[in-house]
Amino acid sequence: MSLNRVLIYSLLLIAAFFYLLPLLVMLMTSLKDLDEIRSGTLLSFPQSLNFDAWSKAWGTACTGVDCNGLKGFFWNSVLIVVPAVLISTVLGALNGYVLTKWRFKGSNLFFGMLLIGTMIPFQVILLPMARTLGFLGIAGTTWGLIMVHIIYGLAFTTLFFRNYYISIPNELVNAARIDGAGFWLIFFRIVLPISIPIVVVSVIWQFTQIWNDFLFGVVYSSGDAQPVTVALNNLVNTSTGVKEYNVDMAAAIIAALPTLLVYVVAGKYFVRGLTAGAVKG
Amino acid sequence: MKALKIQNVEKTFGSIKVLKGIDLEIEPGQFLILVGPSGCGKSTLLNMIAGLESVSNGSISIGDRDVTHLDPKDRDIAMVFQSYALYPNMTVRQNISFGLEINKTPKAELEATVDKVSKMLQIVPLLDRKPKQLSGGQRQRVAMGRALARDPSVYLFDEPLSNLDAKLRVEMRSEIKELHQRVGTTIVYVTHDQIEAMTLGDVIAVMKDGEIQQFGSPQEIYDNPRNQFIAGFMGSPSMNFVPCTVKQGGNGLVLAMESGGVAHELPVENTIEGLPQYVGKKVVLGIRPEQITQVSEDKPNTMMIPCVVEIIEPTGPDTIIMVRLNGVRTVCRVHPTAQSKVGELMPLQFDMSKAVFFDSETEQRIY
Repeated sequence: MSLNRVLIYSLLLIAAFFYLLPLLVMLMTSLKDLDEIRSGTLLSFPQSLNFDAWSKAWGTACTGVDCNGLKGFFWNSVLIVVPAVLISTVLGALNGYVLTKWRFKGSNLFFGMLLIGTMIPFQVILLPMARTLGFLGIAGTTWGLIMVHIIYGLAFTTLFFRNYYISIPNELVNAARIDGAGFWLIFFRIVLPISIPIVVVSVIWQFTQIWNDFLFGVVYSSGDAQPVTVALNNLVNTSTGVKEYNVDMAAAIIAALPTLLVYVVAGKYFVRGLTAGAVKG
Repeated sequence: MKALKIQNVEKTFGSIKVLKGIDLEIEPGQFLILVGPSGCGKSTLLNMIAGLESVSNGSISIGDRDVTHLDPKDRDIAMVFQSYALYPNMTVRQNISFGLEINKTPKAELEATVDKVSKMLQIVPLLDRKPKQLSGGQRQRVAMGRALARDPSVYLFDEPLSNLDAKLRVEMRSEIKELHQRVGTTIVYVTHDQIEAMTLGDVIAVMKDGEIQQFGSPQEIYDNPRNQFIAGFMGSPSMNFVPCTVKQGGNGLVLAMESGGVAHELPVENTIEGLPQYVGKKVVLGIRPEQITQVSEDKPNTMMIPCVVEIIEPTGPDTIIMVRLNGVRTVCRVHPTAQSKVGELMPLQFDMSKAVFFDSETEQRIY
């Protein structure tokens, strides 16, 4: 191995270690008991594997007045994320399909305006969206929050699918039209089956965004319907005299686990899908 | 009944007129070629016949049905695309049967059709492969198979051979011609390649700037081009255009021709009624390379002019040599054994019986 390689690999290792360090500290802290935390240093290894903090974070830790841990809120998040991701992805795919293969007068303007949606910060739409949800009578409900996520995510998913479909030759759609297929048949039988890479991108993106969202969750949901991120905040901020760092850390890892899993499982498709069509071949 | 009848069809994109009133009709079973340089509107016209683009003005009939405003699927057509446009997620078999499946063809009939078509095109071993596992020529065959399976009244081909390499292109060209002779269905075929146009077509429509410049059989267009554009477009190497002055000679009209600093007079053999009006004026002589050859004993009466050879390009059966006439580089086709050396004088024989003349300003043919 040449000196260059050694340098490159050691730099990469240092960088990886640097980024993994917080996770390592969290993991180690979550496995210690409170005495160990108080007596040892941040980087000292736990003396035994002690999962008490994990079960407390999952089942009995207090998030405000209730003391049922994160588990209920974890499922809340699942119930919010799954429909929001699926619906925003399907709608984004349809948008992209229409914007590239069934153009209409002003479709470019429409796309341009939709693109502005990707640049709007969360905070800007808080009040108008609250009014809208109130007007629709779904304020504070899970479906209200799902709708916010779908609408906010639509600009991104449309952008993904539109840019992917623009590289699919129009002749493919024309051939199918001559074969007698209509709008939906072409979409489901021809366009969607060749969209797997970009579907993966859209799902990962939306999953990460929605699962990790705190602001919309804290504003548009209440009580038992809150997502896990909000519950985590409440859990950390609820103290009964003693600060239970081990429980806090375990809870934070639990809350982050699904996105971590998604990246491990589908990460390579993410990169592949994002760069699809960027280079020919 | 005409197989296809296009009446005064126009297409406008915004303020740009892409097609300016196209009229043409063909008999059932004819092979029509739409040929022209890129941007002439030939593909747009084909897409309008297919129903993929709307018609701004005029009407299109297939058989005795007016299809101007019908959906592509209701026009009884099939189309082969330049990029083949095979469905990437389906096998060859599914690609061929997709249209039949949508039409709710009974399963037995569908399978029989796939069987028949794949045998005809010799793609039976490929039936369970995906398009990306096929070579260019095989994809081309599958694309034709998909069209054949529909058994339409008109086939539309949009530059189907332009993505193939030169050798395969020649092979597929003959296959398409053979296929047409076998199935006998009307074909409309778009190409920018004049060789494809000449070899495949029963009738050719030469297009330029959204208009049909000439409509006729390949030989007719080759021998009797209506204007200088068509004359130059059809044929390879293309026709020579030599500007020269018409003079009154002893035995009829002659053309003043300068070669290597020496003035010659080239007699006009065929009688062209319009030509005497041009005496003393410039015209453009159109003469094909094969009409300027080495001197042969068979034609004692043809005119001979010695010319300086500038470039020699052997092609095998013939050798192309380039000389300069009236200051214009002129291409001649001579027998390989007859060529001389670059820079030397070579006597060349001019067969003027098929020469054509164009007005030097309007570029229209002088009849």
